[in-house]
Amino acid sequence: MEYLIQYSDRFIDGTIITIQLLVTSSIIGLAIAVPMALARVSRNPLLAGGAYVYIYILRGTPLLVQLYLVYFGLGQFEAVRESVFWPILRDEYWCGMIGLTLNTSAYVAEILRGGIMGVPHGEVEAARAAGMSQALMYRRIILPKAFRIAWPAYGNEVILLLKGSALVSTITVLDLMGVTRTVFSRSYSLDLFLYAAILYFVMTFVLTRVFRMIERHLNRHLQDREQIEKRTAAQAA
Amino acid sequence: MATAALVAEDVYKRFGSLEVLRGISLTANEQDVIAVLGSSGSGKSTFLRCINLLEIPDSGKVYVHGELIRMKEARNGSRVPEDRKQVERIRSKLAMVFQQFNLWSHMTILENVTEAPIHVLKRPKAEAIELGESILEKVGIADKRDFYPGHLSGGQQQRAAIARALAMEPEVMLFDEPTSALDPELVGEVLKVMRDLAEEGRTMIVVTHETGFAREVSSQVVFLHQGKVEEIGPPDQVFVNPKSERCRQFLATNY
Repeated sequence: MEYLIQYSDRFIDGTIITIQLLVTSSIIGLAIAVPMALARVSRNPLLAGGAYVYIYILRGTPLLVQLYLVYFGLGQFEAVRESVFWPILRDEYWCGMIGLTLNTSAYVAEILRGGIMGVPHGEVEAARAAGMSQALMYRRIILPKAFRIAWPAYGNEVILLLKGSALVSTITVLDLMGVTRTVFSRSYSLDLFLYAAILYFVMTFVLTRVFRMIERHLNRHLQDREQIEKRTAAQAA
Repeated sequence: MATAALVAEDVYKRFGSLEVLRGISLTANEQDVIAVLGSSGSGKSTFLRCINLLEIPDSGKVYVHGELIRMKEARNGSRVPEDRKQVERIRSKLAMVFQQFNLWSHMTILENVTEAPIHVLKRPKAEAIELGESILEKVGIADKRDFYPGHLSGGQQQRAAIARALAMEPEVMLFDEPTSALDPELVGEVLKVMRDLAEEGRTMIVVTHETGFAREVSSQVVFLHQGKVEEIGPPDQVFVNPKSERCRQFLATNY
């Protein structure tokens, strides 16, 4: 415990880095995943094939290997070292972020694809019959519906991402795990890992709660009418 | 005479080796209510879906208010619409009511009704809401405006779907077996709404098993058999004195 207190500043910084990595990579990952999922269900074989390969490779290789490839691998190329991206690509924090983002984008794309496939055919047909264009139909009917279907699985993926983010400590990022390892190497105090576990657990706990709250809001059309009325009444009072 | 609201000319459609439609022609004038009857598998639903291109006919022409839906041949030899925008525009004038209602389940009833007017017809939001509310009033579910479809009975859902169709201020309404998925005691409320629409002079094409409704409300009855028009005429003639033996048999068991 004394080390946790002695190095509390570092633990706080590490936790902040972990949260930053999680928030940024899950948002950018999602932004990549949406067009990826759309490409995946597209009738254009080039788009669908490209997205399939992207998803397949990123899901088929360990996150740890991906992080190594981004951090150690890219710097092997002269062209990369001389490009304008080098200040970013030589920084371990950005490399960690890129690795996590790419990895999660593939998983989320696949989750979203499942959501898109799960949209009832009749509702899509009703949209077409109303004269909606393909783009409008995706924007107003298919994607909103797909997100609702995919939401629980998406929440799960974000939690996996939080825990997966501990791997960035292996490429020297001082996230919560990185800080824990650094302090441990000075103190050899094993209970530090227990504290790290507790901190991860608290973050997961809060995340699950937030996701469930949003789910309840998004999927209120699936709840009993009575429940909704009760809640509205309670809020009013 | 004015241009017909809707003309279908010699429509063919096959699914694989199954020929579902074998040359169907139909003309709906303004204010016509055309009931399409036939046993299951006769092609009635497919025909209706060929009109708004939910199914693409293999050959034949469809005119809406004299405007031909232009088709072309795709590279792989299948037939596709020449101009997507034209199809979308025409679809927005041909509102469809489905057997399974197909309301958008994540939207409230009012949102269902205002969705396409706002985003397809680009009506101002306030105007669409006002119109939507008055239509919900008309079909008798104004109090359900903030409910989700899953919280309504089948009959209420189908009335909401009719309201959604009406909100497009369509030139022709297509009904695909609108009461077939309903419990018997809920059929009446939907038929009543449809009857009111017919009396208002709406142009309607109704695929149905409700022969009573067809007889009382329609101006023209079409009986399909194996993808062809077997009998066509005003209801009094078709119901009282059908020329075709098949139609006679069908009415004997269904009416």
